[in-house]
Amino acid sequence: MIRRGDVLVSKGEGGVYGERILEGYRVWDPYRSKLAALYLVGAGVELVPAMKVLYLGAANGTTVSHVADYVEVVYAVEFAPRPMQDLLEVARRRRNVMPIMADASSPEQYAPLVETVDLLYQDVAQPDQAAIALRNCAFIRTGGHLVLMLKTRSVDIRKQPGEVFRDTLDILISAGLTVTESTWLAPYHQDHAAIVCTR
Amino acid sequence: MQSFWFGDISEGHCTPFTGDAAACARRVREIRASRDAFLLPDWQQAVACGFCHDRAEYLSLLQKVCIAGSEQAVRDQYAAKDVELLQMVRTLDEMDTVINVLSERVADWYQIRHPSFSRKYRRTPAHVLVKSISERNRERGGGGALGKVAAEITSLAYARTALAKEVSSRACEVMPNTSALIGGLVAARLLSQSGGLKELSRLPASAIQVLGARTALFMHIRTHAPSPKHGIIFQHRRVHNAPRDARGKVARVLAGKLAIAARLDFYRGCAVPSFLDDAQARIDRVGAPEEDGQP
Repeated sequence: MIRRGDVLVSKGEGGVYGERILEGYRVWDPYRSKLAALYLVGAGVELVPAMKVLYLGAANGTTVSHVADYVEVVYAVEFAPRPMQDLLEVARRRRNVMPIMADASSPEQYAPLVETVDLLYQDVAQPDQAAIALRNCAFIRTGGHLVLMLKTRSVDIRKQPGEVFRDTLDILISAGLTVTESTWLAPYHQDHAAIVCTR
Repeated sequence: MQSFWFGDISEGHCTPFTGDAAACARRVREIRASRDAFLLPDWQQAVACGFCHDRAEYLSLLQKVCIAGSEQAVRDQYAAKDVELLQMVRTLDEMDTVINVLSERVADWYQIRHPSFSRKYRRTPAHVLVKSISERNRERGGGGALGKVAAEITSLAYARTALAKEVSSRACEVMPNTSALIGGLVAARLLSQSGGLKELSRLPASAIQVLGARTALFMHIRTHAPSPKHGIIFQHRRVHNAPRDARGKVARVLAGKLAIAARLDFYRGCAVPSFLDDAQARIDRVGAPEEDGQP
């Protein structure tokens, strides 16, 4: 990952969402992007130029644009039409962003489009986040990675975040994934955890 | 046979797809991959197929297809009849809030300018006062900022009236049965609270009855406060004009008929006179003497 001093940055065309430019690099704000927070809090998965990424829950394409600066191609799946309008604008200006309007919980909708990827990144506000991740594991090459941004409050508002975190880890491990890192994203994001797995 | 976005592969033989990006996107929508084990596309297959020359071309073609497909999907979603109505009714409700807040503020401001003025015994609600300030401003001029703000609020109120009419007529178009039972505006508010016609049509009558009474409902669930009898449907004259002790009953019957009406609107999309007549008669009967004693 590229850093300028302590600041995480990426190299690409700026002005996507009014981000700051530092020495010609786009500043990647950890308070806005959970992936940036993961790189500051923990290790994460190093993004390299040859990588193919499947991104579930692409939203407005803010984080997508930074990931696209690092890797070869990003398949960006988003369900809602409003953010999709913004994501399309990002895709029109970046050759390696593939916008796909589909439901991440039914991967068969986009299976004819998406190739085998090195990294599956998931950031969706759904109660069955672990199940969605497992359903999409078929896209990850053997030895590839899953980065799951767990929104504990979306899983069950009545449960303690720690409990949801442990339950999710259990589901992923019993599905045969190797968890290499799991961390909370405090102080950048409340009640959000990141889980990194290897397939 | 295995279908990918760039073509079909069966028994080692590949037929590349010919057509533009939009056609290809439509084709992708129709491909039904199996739910459990799916085979994924590979750019080398596409090259072997004769669909493209190299990876760069593969990706650029794929992007065209993805963008065309997503643009179409967004357009389809927005083309649904209820989507614009949803925005219109939410704008209307927010305009109401803004107009009220600003009117109260301007009335306060006016009282400071005129120390001897009082609204007591005068029957001047804030919006009437605002209107008279803006009229005076137009006639004499020189009202300063206060007059200009009052004029703005008045014109906002006109825009609000026009929007309300449009919401009402659009609701009669989108949800003919529901609107016939409780009027376009209230029907549109039900739509806005539930999030869409599809969502409204899937709600049980008991939920429609208390739609918009969220605070009271959760207060009831958490503490032992009495349950809410009505939410948005209180705005309909049949509910708020009913005698206090019959309101709950009217609301319940009305909500039951509304649930059916919403389903008719979603699945049929046209007014059903036979249902409407029965429903109106049933609702009118509530609280009438002959009904007493029935469950």
